[in-house]
Amino acid sequence: GDSLLPAPQSISVLSTNMKHFLTWSPVIIQGATVRYSVEFQGEYEREYANGSWIPISECSLTTATVCNITEDISASVAYRLRVRAELGATRSQWGTTKGFFNRATTSLTPPLLRVVADGHHLLVELADMGPSFQFRVLYWRKGQESRVQQRMMKEVSSVVHLDTMEAGAEYCVKAQTHVQAINRSSSFSPTQCVRGQGDTSLWL
Amino acid sequence: GACSVSMSMTEIRAGFTAIKANIQSRDPIRTLSILSHPCSLHKVKSSDRCCITHQLFTFYVDKVFKHCRTEDSFVNRKISSIANSFLSVRRKLEQCREKNKCVCGEESTEKFKQILANYEGLNVTSAAMKSLGELDILLDWMEKS
Repeated sequence: GDSLLPAPQSISVLSTNMKHFLTWSPVIIQGATVRYSVEFQGEYEREYANGSWIPISECSLTTATVCNITEDISASVAYRLRVRAELGATRSQWGTTKGFFNRATTSLTPPLLRVVADGHHLLVELADMGPSFQFRVLYWRKGQESRVQQRMMKEVSSVVHLDTMEAGAEYCVKAQTHVQAINRSSSFSPTQCVRGQGDTSLWL
Repeated sequence: GACSVSMSMTEIRAGFTAIKANIQSRDPIRTLSILSHPCSLHKVKSSDRCCITHQLFTFYVDKVFKHCRTEDSFVNRKISSIANSFLSVRRKLEQCREKNKCVCGEESTEKFKQILANYEGLNVTSAAMKSLGELDILLDWMEKS
């Protein structure tokens, strides 16, 4: 039967850096373990497939109150999601997200970066954020803010050499992410400055 | 000016690659092709590219994906992801058409007619499954030029 079990409430999508999670409030039944099942519906299903819903198998009969929907929200269209509670043979009504979710609204955080002066070499290391992400790195010699240089980076698996620094000069770096699939960028990371190695004076 | 549409080809191709073997195993008729027979996508003039791309995306959205539902939840999820991506791209192509940047010449009209004839020569489920199984032919053609 589908009546006695209340539908999950407070259903919402948390989305940061193109990782999307559906969350909901637990349905509390004393002494019982309630399970949940999640389904999604893209714009295609609404307009061309009779409003059909597609189950997410990883979140079928789960006891968790969160579901990673990233793999299924893989187009920049409006999606709806729903979840229901299940206890044995009893199922609740579906609880559905209010409105639609489009991944274009994901919140983008600045990248994590580490700037290193290795002798005269200005190096940067960026934390990998997944295949959707590119990085725009700006760097300049301190005091020469008008001569900012830019580097676009896709693969960030290792340290990247940005420039060869003049002896003893200070260089600054900041970066932002860009997601081509939604054509949006994050804000810039805090600026980090490092000083290149001074010249070693030779005593003759 | 030309129609320029940004699309995440990588995502579409990844979705298709994940189900390609499964889909192609459901297509028993190996001697026929929807997209390639007799030489539909080959030697398309650049001026006709946008129109053929729009026609093919419309073809897949309107005719193909809906007949490809399977008993496999994973496959259905990937088909949904491809279908919704196609819908998103087609919308951008339509914006180009509205600005007359996606004009259909005689050649593209003829080529698309041939593709439709190939499609309608089979029963709908076989035709849809075969068309889906040939998606890499379309993706390769789009990336090549």
